[in-house]
Amino acid sequence: MSVKAVLHSEWTKIRSLPSLMIALLSGLVATTGVTALVSATHDGKESGADFDPVFFSFFGLNFGQIAAICFGVLAVANEYAGGGIRVWLAAVPRRGLYYGCKLAVVGLCALAVGLVTGFASLLGGQALLGEQGVGPGAPGALRAAVGCGIYLALLTVLSAGVAAVLRGPVGALGLLVPLVCFLSPVLGDGPATRFLPDRAGQQVLHATPEGPLGPWTGLGVLALWAAAAVWAGRLALGRRDA
Amino acid sequence: MTSQTSIDVHQLTKDYGVVRAVDRLTFRVLPGRVTGFLGPNGAGKSTTMRMVLGLDRPDSGTATLGGRPYRELDEPLRHVGALLDAGAAHGARTARDHLLCLAFSNRITAARVDTVLEETGLAPAAERRVRTFSLGMRQRLGIAAALLGDPPVLMLDEPANGLDPEGIVWIRTLMKRLAAQGRTVLVSSHLMAETALTADHLVVLGRGRLLADTPMETFVREHSRPRARVRTTEPERLRSELARAGLTAEPDGPDHWTVDRAAPDDIGALAARHGIPVLELAEDKASLEEAYLRLTADRAEFTTSRPAPAPGSTRANTAKQEV
Repeated sequence: MSVKAVLHSEWTKIRSLPSLMIALLSGLVATTGVTALVSATHDGKESGADFDPVFFSFFGLNFGQIAAICFGVLAVANEYAGGGIRVWLAAVPRRGLYYGCKLAVVGLCALAVGLVTGFASLLGGQALLGEQGVGPGAPGALRAAVGCGIYLALLTVLSAGVAAVLRGPVGALGLLVPLVCFLSPVLGDGPATRFLPDRAGQQVLHATPEGPLGPWTGLGVLALWAAAAVWAGRLALGRRDA
Repeated sequence: MTSQTSIDVHQLTKDYGVVRAVDRLTFRVLPGRVTGFLGPNGAGKSTTMRMVLGLDRPDSGTATLGGRPYRELDEPLRHVGALLDAGAAHGARTARDHLLCLAFSNRITAARVDTVLEETGLAPAAERRVRTFSLGMRQRLGIAAALLGDPPVLMLDEPANGLDPEGIVWIRTLMKRLAAQGRTVLVSSHLMAETALTADHLVVLGRGRLLADTPMETFVREHSRPRARVRTTEPERLRSELARAGLTAEPDGPDHWTVDRAAPDDIGALAARHGIPVLELAEDKASLEEAYLRLTADRAEFTTSRPAPAPGSTRANTAKQEV
């Protein structure tokens, strides 16, 4: 079987489902839109030494990342709808090949849209911040924009892996949205909280990250979460009857 | 004598918890004929097909295509076309996109997708989303998917489901044509009348076990009793004479009587001896349904909890009058 052919098939699956394209693009719209809104209305009261204009540009990511989770979950869970997985696995019976190609395409789509999101948020946000804004040349700014793309891609792949384990959208979203979006705000600033997927992965968005994790090691921790989910999904797909 | 395109199932066994869905099943499906795959619901037909396709893992035994397991086939859609479930296409995709996703994975061209859409009568609906399709159209889409790779082996699970009468004739003709082209065609069904018109060979399952693997004609002959149908002006006299000869005549429509375990020769001779006028006398051809029900009734351990039907009470082609 040709890897290129399977990648082509997987890309066609995403392109041909309106819900997936909407989920993918709504991450871009939500992140940049919310960032633009808060940046334009920012009154400068927080502008102490603590104010991080770079991180402020990614405020919208709190909303955009939900779209990334949905995209990752739906890209996999849709395959199971109505027993459809049997059709796809009959066409590509090598499950590792099928799964690998799907995750590659899903991850690359998220990375491409995530990078656009990162740069649009940074540039738009800084422009709207006015005199408090910094240019793309400021320390950590470009790194944060690229990091935003990688963050969204890893989060998407993590979600896809979880969906492969649970084989449906409801359970996967029910697990991921609280884990990624609500757990770290609820738990506060504990030492363990820093290693949660969102908190660790968002280190890269700060101009000067604090705590034990640096920008890239933080993304590394998120990558480990994603790898664990991908591995669990691979085991589930390989073992279970379709 | 494994053929390049035969389906070989050998000692195949599958358990779901404590239920044995498929039990040491062994049979071979050969090319060039339509093989009907029969059995009541839950007999293991679909499970067997899924194991042949490498979707479900057998607990023991093997299922191969031309000697190779499905998972080892390169670009399997070019070897085997399968229809498993009409609901399997995502409702939000168009029919053409659904087929394109399948085709591209096996390096099948978009032109071939348009050909199968044409062949299955879906070309006018190609750009419509699958959720707007009727069950019959979904079924046609599933068959289009099975035909994509122009495969030498076809496995169709209940292909006539949801098809209108015209569609049923179409699928029947299609299967016969595919078999005549030398392909291997395995068709599961619970519609006996339909299978009788389509299949040349039968594989019959009951509770996961093989009950029969024989040509259609042999199957019907072996699992039915001779029976004659007679019309007379003196039914009462004929009946008592038959009873004296040890035969029972049952009324079967106005003026008609059927006689179990009797050939027309016997009845004709008997009627002539007693001077009973006979207006009609014919051999009553047993139907596949009747033979099938008799087989499952004979193997009482394989029948479900419902009582075994009495012979003659469930005949396909005769509208029996209540007496």
